[in-house]
Amino acid sequence: MIQLIHVSKSYDRRVVLSDLTLEIGKGEFVLLMGPSGAGKSTLLRMLIGEERPDQGQIFVQGKNVGQLRQSEVPYLRRKIGTVFQEFHLLPKKSVFENVALPLLVQRSSVAEIRRKVMEALRAVDVEHKKDQSPASLSTGEQQRVCIARAIVNGPVVLLADEPTGNLDPERTAEIIELFKLVNARGTTVVVATHDPHVMTLVNRRVMMLIQGVLIPEVQGGDA
Amino acid sequence: MRWLVYLFREAWTNLRTNRTTTVVAIVTTAFTLTCVGIFVLSYVNLRHAANWLQEDIKVIVYLDDRLPLEAIQELEDTLKADRMVGGLFYISKDQALGEFRAQFPSDSHLLEGLGENPLPASFVVTPAPNYRSLNSVNRWAERVTIMPGVAKVDYNQEWIDALAELIRYIELAAISVGVILSMAGITIIGNTIRLALFARREEVEILRLIGATRTFIRIPYVIEGAVLGVCGSALSLSILKLGFELFRRQIGSVGRFNEIESLVTFLPISGCAAFVGIGMVLGIAGSMVSLRRFGETRG
Repeated sequence: MIQLIHVSKSYDRRVVLSDLTLEIGKGEFVLLMGPSGAGKSTLLRMLIGEERPDQGQIFVQGKNVGQLRQSEVPYLRRKIGTVFQEFHLLPKKSVFENVALPLLVQRSSVAEIRRKVMEALRAVDVEHKKDQSPASLSTGEQQRVCIARAIVNGPVVLLADEPTGNLDPERTAEIIELFKLVNARGTTVVVATHDPHVMTLVNRRVMMLIQGVLIPEVQGGDA
Repeated sequence: MRWLVYLFREAWTNLRTNRTTTVVAIVTTAFTLTCVGIFVLSYVNLRHAANWLQEDIKVIVYLDDRLPLEAIQELEDTLKADRMVGGLFYISKDQALGEFRAQFPSDSHLLEGLGENPLPASFVVTPAPNYRSLNSVNRWAERVTIMPGVAKVDYNQEWIDALAELIRYIELAAISVGVILSMAGITIIGNTIRLALFARREEVEILRLIGATRTFIRIPYVIEGAVLGVCGSALSLSILKLGFELFRRQIGSVGRFNEIESLVTFLPISGCAAFVGIGMVLGIAGSMVSLRRFGETRG
């Protein structure tokens, strides 16, 4: 599903990723661990074509992301759901409208939008908040809405960048459970985090990234 | 179709959210286009006047005093057969004198001292409708001047030449002012769109990350630019119409300009539509310039 071959990336001579080679299979759940500045976000941005590697190749679902034309990038992103630490929800739109955005950009029909948005909201258990503004929700609920938006069009990959950074341990556990549910439906999930507590919640493959270098893999453990 | 509703609603939200900027952009664009409109109106009216003068153009073919009656008849036949001649009538020497006395009664004594009637006989020729342009009349006059029995051909050439030259200058000024002020209009609308983009940069960022194409992101801003351009040009058209009516009423109140009042004309409906269309194009151009610059920084 995801393959990186000798990928390197630098900003102003500062090496962010160094000769990274890894493979993530279809339906896998992977934790990408590492301290702030380790290169986790850069790696995720490269997977959605937001950044291009200086060297090496990146493949997502067989497509060489680094060589995609700018006009092809949106179509790649429609197959990848993205969850951010800062949620990035539009405050002037309702929860329903926020979740509907990925379907709108794909020009889905009204009926399809209604059906899929309600399904996604139900999956993350915020269906009853559909008409509210994101600002009126708790941080945990906002992150749920963000996850609903990421999964609403049935992505093949879900990338989450520090998704629990703003949450307390209890909400963190709930969000990780949601990711597991999404993964159980066959979606490949990659969660980037610096929080060791998350590792204790996930008994899955863990990749450790320190100063742009990938450390031999370890296994997480369910709490 | 929900996506289409979404795009139009986003454009409307942009306009409403930045209400002050929107109003300032519309008013500034309106005044800019009004300046262009004044030149366009002047040009249209001068062209209208030139056409009116051309419609009314009369060419006077003065005849040699010694020309016998048979030769005059022969010349009349020749002229009548000419396809460039729409109509003509003959004015004898006596008729010319009579007309002079009728038109200038206080100056008629000037001719008394000369003894013999000095005014020549002439043909007053109205060019055929298709040959009333200045060039056609010029060519025809040159041809007739060298005909035997013709002393001189006169048709207020200097006045028509001067008007044609004035029209050319106004045309040039209208184009130059139009181009410069259009650039100003593009910049005004472009800056408004840039402010809207800046205010909604996070939304643009989110749309990009969830797979929106550039076109999808840009359409609301292009619609916004088009709306600003249309509103600006429509307001400008209203200002022009108001100014035009005031001007017409003013000249109508002065007795000697009565005839001019009936001659001045506003832009035709098609011209008004074109004016609003140009406003829309300028608005879209402004949006595109800002979006291009925004795109360069955002990828």
